[in-house]
Amino acid sequence: MIFVTIGSMFPFDRLIRAMDGWAEAHPEAEILAQIGAGDYVPVRMPWVRRLDQADFARTVAAARLVVAHAGMGSVITASEFGKPIVMLPRLMERGEHTTDHQIATANWLRDKPGVYVADGDAALGPRIAEALAAVPPAVPIFAAEPPPAFIARIRQCIFGQS
Amino acid sequence: MAIASGGGHWVQMRRIMPAFAGLDVFYVSLDPSSAADVPGRTYYTVRDVSRRDRLGFLVLAGQLARILARERPDVVITTGSAPCLVALGLAKTFLRAKTIWIDSIANAEQLSSSGAQARRVADVWLTQWEHLARPEGPEYWGAVL
Repeated sequence: MIFVTIGSMFPFDRLIRAMDGWAEAHPEAEILAQIGAGDYVPVRMPWVRRLDQADFARTVAAARLVVAHAGMGSVITASEFGKPIVMLPRLMERGEHTTDHQIATANWLRDKPGVYVADGDAALGPRIAEALAAVPPAVPIFAAEPPPAFIARIRQCIFGQS
Repeated sequence: MAIASGGGHWVQMRRIMPAFAGLDVFYVSLDPSSAADVPGRTYYTVRDVSRRDRLGFLVLAGQLARILARERPDVVITTGSAPCLVALGLAKTFLRAKTIWIDSIANAEQLSSSGAQARRVADVWLTQWEHLARPEGPEYWGAVL
């Protein structure tokens, strides 16, 4: 199953519309799309408005591939379940976010194994094909545990030692 | 008190939780279903606000004031975003709590606008990107990833 998610905040109709088009061209693909408050309602793929945390985690766990915006929640969750992710960054000029920080996110993540960045809607299909053809990543995108030195420093700070 | 907005902010807070081991911590976020991430801990939800929503900020400030009055935290830590600025401001002003702002790792090229404003309400003001640290702040101590 391919899980398409727009994250927890703003709608992202460009991704949902593009994936609906992809679904039409790939009728054999099993897809679930979480579309949030978007205006565009998919006609070629099953969809839900939102999933609670537990259902979101279950869906990522069951997915073969995550297709998402370039949000940290989506990519960290994909990593936690060892899933590859195709990311389409939201653009400020399209009103998809308040800044272009998702382009920055896509840029620093693009060379990591298991991360496939689509630079524009037209690149979505090729990136998905690449991700599905690849051997699933042997290691998650991020280490399972946060860096111990950072956690230790935060803890010291909480105890008033820095 | 550990407070974060939904989505990636909460996911980053989850990765900081090992720092709270053995401490008396409670959580505040936006999505009721996030309570499942912190079993056995008190979990509050507050409303989300965007920066121009004045009425929303008043309601949020009321919700946070009630939580702070009941729990009286010594330390307030956040991974953003805008609603958490209010929490830090109230906790610092009325409880003299120690306040810690950790700007989201999503802000790889510049601090978020909430993150920039956090300088005024954060005792400890952190970015997760070394190249964004400045001698006058924010500081870089590392990242959740």
